[in-house]
Amino acid sequence: MYGKGLRPLSIATVVMFAISLSLVFFYAPIEADQGFLQKIFYLHVPLAIVSLCGFVVGGIFAILHLRRDEPRWDAYSYVAIHISVIFAVGGLITGSIWAKGSWGHWWVWNEPTLVSFLIVFLLYATYYPFRYAIEDRQRQARYASVFAIAAGAFVPLNFLAVRMSESLVHPRVFATAGGGLPGSMMLVFLCSIVSMALLWTTLVKFELSAKSAQGQLKRLRRALDAPTGPPTSRIAPEVQ
Amino acid sequence: MTALFGWIVAAPDIPNDVGGKYVAGAYIVFVVLLLIYVAIMGMKLARIERGLREVAELAEARKDEAAVAETARAEVKS
Amino acid sequence: MTPSRTAFAAILAKDLRAELRTLQSLPAMALFAVTSFVIFRFGLNRTSLSGSLAAGVLWATLLFAAVLGINRLFVAEREEGGFDAIRLAPIDRSVLFTAKVTALIVYLGALELIAVPIFALFFLNSAASLPPLVLVLVLADIGLAATGTLISSMAVNSRARDLLVPLVLLPLVVPLMIAATAATEPLMLLGGVSYHRFGTWLMVLGLYDLIFALLGYAVFDFLLED
Repeated sequence: MYGKGLRPLSIATVVMFAISLSLVFFYAPIEADQGFLQKIFYLHVPLAIVSLCGFVVGGIFAILHLRRDEPRWDAYSYVAIHISVIFAVGGLITGSIWAKGSWGHWWVWNEPTLVSFLIVFLLYATYYPFRYAIEDRQRQARYASVFAIAAGAFVPLNFLAVRMSESLVHPRVFATAGGGLPGSMMLVFLCSIVSMALLWTTLVKFELSAKSAQGQLKRLRRALDAPTGPPTSRIAPEVQ
Repeated sequence: MTALFGWIVAAPDIPNDVGGKYVAGAYIVFVVLLLIYVAIMGMKLARIERGLREVAELAEARKDEAAVAETARAEVKS
Repeated sequence: MTPSRTAFAAILAKDLRAELRTLQSLPAMALFAVTSFVIFRFGLNRTSLSGSLAAGVLWATLLFAAVLGINRLFVAEREEGGFDAIRLAPIDRSVLFTAKVTALIVYLGALELIAVPIFALFFLNSAASLPPLVLVLVLADIGLAATGTLISSMAVNSRARDLLVPLVLLPLVVPLMIAATAATEPLMLLGGVSYHRFGTWLMVLGLYDLIFALLGYAVFDFLLED
């Protein structure tokens, strides 16, 4: 059931990535201040944006889980957050590489997006030990949904606070020269975001499909009174 | 590579060959993360395949047993 | 159905009375705060603080002391079947949330009543920063209490109870801390009290309070389901 739209989705992802990567390296103009280094922008920022949107989507799935009381929404919420955490790791590492290239340090505190991103990542990293600490699966699912909702509400608040805490004197690391993006860069940027969003959706569907297959196998085992397979994870919700 | 940069008017603050290394590094990190994910999913798939094989063998064995029991019962009746 | 106001008052009164009688959390929180100040004095090797350093030391200490109290907030409910009582009682269950948040605000207020003047005594040159600081403290307490109650109510039903609250709560209150320290720092400058962006930061605090208080109130019912 979850694998149904997976083929067209993954094809669309590949095509979109081919297009945006070509645009990044053959079409996008070289930026005046940072030169070629600036091209990391088309990788780092989409990773970060898609990751943050993914966290909010995880929160929305969590709301649906609490309201409809169907376990599959908890699985959707978990997977959305899981994939977003992976994207967040990618965003942090690429941001660090960019900082090293621009400023010579592997970490900078005066880039508000990077800092708020770190805080968001730290919060969602606690999602796993939090789930692990609650033994009853139903309660775990419910509490995890509360966490996902609180954390989802936290994301915009956090960005607001960190951005406001930046003194206007400090130059931002990632601001492009002249402020706004020229049209050609904007096009490439939008294409990059679309391809990253497609990748996120593909991976979520992929993961849900694998979980579903595991669930069906478990169902089959139970129907045939077969010995149970290797113990499953205590935190990852099952999909039937 | 120089052909690409030929049309730049002013040289950027960060030399392009230095920048190039970092860009490559960032894209490599992205690809590696993606591949690690694929590898983990591959292992999951292998486990599911193994489980399915076990269950299929079990189901077939049961079917054979049932067939044997059927023929045994038929012989007893006749 | 018992009106919420009566239930709220009853739960709040029970909590405050229990705390007054047993004095479990408050003295520990206050002592922890004062000892932390001493540790900071030696750790930073300074006998007076101002500006961002003062704001940071004060708010970090208050936060960690608050975590001590938050850890113990629902222990009585857990051990003596308070959760079951709330489930069975003919009241709106979110009343437990509002009552606990209010109780926690009272504890935090009591903590600050002791810790902040001592902080001023130890480190500040003048007490001029204290009156506007009260405003910051009140708003921060509301947000801290809302988020703390929410996390504490979940942590109490888990295995690693004492670890879970610091682990999950600290990142969640980072925006609150950013706003609180940013509002406090200009109050404690050496040159005198300044209100640089004071109103803006108070609004951020208020926004945080609003969002998390509403959120906690909305989801608390789901937390109590068995």
